[in-house]
Amino acid sequence: MADEALSKAGLHFDELNKVRVLEPEIQSQTTELKEECKEFVEKIGDFQKIVGGFIEMVDQLAQEVEKEKMKAIGSRNLLKSVAKQREAQQQQLQALIAEKKTQLERYRVQYAALQKEEAEQAEFIEQFLLQK
Amino acid sequence: MRFKTSLAKEPKHSELVSCVAWTTSEELYSCSDDHQILRWNLLSDETTTLAKLPNEIYATDIHFFPRGLGGKGKQTQADVFVLAATDGKFHLISKSGRVEKSVDAHRGAVLCGRWSYDGTAMATSGEDGQVKIWSRSGMLRSTLAQTGSPVYSISWSPDSDQILIINGRHLIIKSMQASAKPLQWKAHDGVILKVDWNPINNMILSGGEDCKYRIWDSYGRQLYSSHPHEYPVTSVAWAPDGQLFAIGSFNTLRLCDQSGWSYALEKPNVGSIFNIAWSGDGTQVAGACGNGHVIFAHVVERRMEWRNFEVVVVSRTVIEVRNVMDDSKEKLEFRDRIIKTSLSFEYLVVATSSQCYVYSAKNWNTPMIFDLKDGTVTLIVQAERHFGIIDNGGLHLYTYEGRLMSSPKYTGMRSDTLSVQTLSISNDTVAIRDKTDEKLVHLFDANTGKALESKPLAHKMEIVEVHLDQCGPPAERRLAIIDKNRDLYLSTVRNFGKPAKIVKLGTMIYSLAWNDQTNMLAALQDGRLTVWYYPNAVFVDKELLSSTISSKDTSEFGKSPQIVNFIGNHVTIRRADGALVGTGVSPYPVLLYELVNSSRWDDAVRLCRFVKDEAVWGCLAAMSSYAKELNTAEIAYAAIDMVDKVQYILYIKDIPLKEARAAEMALFCGNSQDAEGILLQANLVFRAIMMNITLYNWDRALELAVKHKTHVDTVLGYRQQFLNNFNKVETNKRFLQFAQGVEVNWEQIQTKIETEYQKERERPNAKSYGK
Repeated sequence: MADEALSKAGLHFDELNKVRVLEPEIQSQTTELKEECKEFVEKIGDFQKIVGGFIEMVDQLAQEVEKEKMKAIGSRNLLKSVAKQREAQQQQLQALIAEKKTQLERYRVQYAALQKEEAEQAEFIEQFLLQK
Repeated sequence: MRFKTSLAKEPKHSELVSCVAWTTSEELYSCSDDHQILRWNLLSDETTTLAKLPNEIYATDIHFFPRGLGGKGKQTQADVFVLAATDGKFHLISKSGRVEKSVDAHRGAVLCGRWSYDGTAMATSGEDGQVKIWSRSGMLRSTLAQTGSPVYSISWSPDSDQILIINGRHLIIKSMQASAKPLQWKAHDGVILKVDWNPINNMILSGGEDCKYRIWDSYGRQLYSSHPHEYPVTSVAWAPDGQLFAIGSFNTLRLCDQSGWSYALEKPNVGSIFNIAWSGDGTQVAGACGNGHVIFAHVVERRMEWRNFEVVVVSRTVIEVRNVMDDSKEKLEFRDRIIKTSLSFEYLVVATSSQCYVYSAKNWNTPMIFDLKDGTVTLIVQAERHFGIIDNGGLHLYTYEGRLMSSPKYTGMRSDTLSVQTLSISNDTVAIRDKTDEKLVHLFDANTGKALESKPLAHKMEIVEVHLDQCGPPAERRLAIIDKNRDLYLSTVRNFGKPAKIVKLGTMIYSLAWNDQTNMLAALQDGRLTVWYYPNAVFVDKELLSSTISSKDTSEFGKSPQIVNFIGNHVTIRRADGALVGTGVSPYPVLLYELVNSSRWDDAVRLCRFVKDEAVWGCLAAMSSYAKELNTAEIAYAAIDMVDKVQYILYIKDIPLKEARAAEMALFCGNSQDAEGILLQANLVFRAIMMNITLYNWDRALELAVKHKTHVDTVLGYRQQFLNNFNKVETNKRFLQFAQGVEVNWEQIQTKIETEYQKERERPNAKSYGK
């Protein structure tokens, strides 16, 4: 009975018989809520940390990828230009070969002319000896 | 022959180099789009900045005022160059880099500025298509031409009287005289970028965007067209002596012979070569490169052959000599740069920038050395006993011992225009074709350097080439002349006051050479190689000329070959593609020359009988007639079936007097004046009169008869007979006049003639011709 009167006045007693303003049940629930909230905040913090690390990692990866990409483009271009360079070099060498070829042809003609003259002279000597 | 190129490690200019020019053979100026003018000293290998041009000036062309020009303005003008620029002005800049004058010249850029060879004028061309002529101080004289497209390059003619102008794909030759019609022709299939006209060989070189270079003569006829290159030909330049030229293109530098074929190709990594300049001594070129480099290329491996010796200039200062017979090699080293070398007549003459070395083929160890007055030798011409060196100071003859013999000179002679075509030296004579009047040839005695005659030898046409024969006594010296029509003439050289006898020998002659041992003459004549075994025959008996020739088809040598030399019985010919080919000539004429020179006539006849060749008999006939060796002449003429000549020689042999025989021989050779001279000198007046009568030279016969007061009636009698034969009446006043006073009595004439012959036979020196 006394309890009823007290509760009407908004006073309660807990198990340890201490005077409380809140109902002990609500009190325990509140404490529970508080605990749970704390836990939640902690968990969220952890999550944030993890996500931050993840983002950092992804960023790093992106950078790496970008770098590799540039490298790939560069080497592809280089490859192309090497082919071109080779072509130019080939052209130059071909021109030089053509030059040498004409020179060779000149020498060949000269050689043929000399051979012809040698033959003529040999023939002349032979005839000369025969006539004697 | 090839180029040995050298490049600096790093480009000295930061932008493309647009033009280069030599001041001396050791110093070069280069201009670039980085606005700098650099001076390159090749001796110390240093490069200094001469001047920095204002930022709006991009140089397009530089050209130095021609060197070695006399006159008062020499001090102030000699070291000035003209710089054409994109700001529409040309700038006269002193050698030290000070801009002396800037003149507004064209709308748009000035593309080319060239001094004339005589230094009296300058021509500029611009993007506005105009060509303007300026005085040497930079005052406008005239606007010579107006074309529809930018004029990228111009070039003066050798006589500085015409200008070659580029007009798109066409070339124009425009004379300074406004009335003269310009010569224009289509030269390339693309825009022409560069032209050069050589003052020595008078040939034009052009290069264009059709990637070809071509050579033209001064009438616009094409002499050579190259195969197409990979890139446009951006620069062309003749070597000063006209023997070589250089071609520049993208990463390409080419060295070519004057006939167009290429000696060597270099592929340096320098970008396009926009401008090429030859050094004054013709030993190297500098090229203005697109990547800021200036490329230097030295001509090395120049080869010469003479008999069994092969000489190669292997580098700037080293010559290698190889004796092919025993394969022995010699290495000749020089202190200075080798400028010119010449190998002939058993001697090697080497001119360096300070000294001249003369090596005998017998001894390569101890050359004769003497100092040269002027470092720039432009030409060496050798004869058997001496050689000529041509430098800016003129022509100097030296013996092979190194002694200065003489320096032949005529007023107005310009030594820088002499070439192997216009100068010829033999053991006793020097012949130089005049530059201002090309019909004249100046003849000098080699020993004294004095002119042989008071007046130079004059021909009726412009002369292109002169060649003296190398053998025989000085009195029999002959000069071969090729004129503008490519006709070959043979002229006497020592005439002792009388006019020179110039006789035509052949037509369509493209190239010729005298033999080094005998007076044989080889020439390329319209697809045939013709050898005149005894060209002098033309002065003895013209009919014999055709039977003293050997002729060979030259189709195996291709189109337009050139004779290089004629040594012993071997003719060396260069084909149009540059290949050297040789051909043999019968060895018998050489033997015949030897026998005749030592007067072994019987052996000569025996040789001819052995050879059984009409040409050799023809030679012997001409030689013996020339030497008045009648017995041999009789045999030789008989062998080639010339009965009339044999008959006449027999008649001559019957004449008792030596002088009369000489006169008849002169008559035989067609020299009636000589014959008369001989007769009158020997006091054989009657024979002289009779000779003129038989030549129907009536006036002269009468003149002689009257002058010597003898045989007037004989002349009148024969004249009468002649007129009666042709049913004519006397119209000659002199004969009418004398006919009145003289009675013609044939019996009397006959006896008079008989006594004359009797008198001749009774002369103390009368002796019939010995067998």
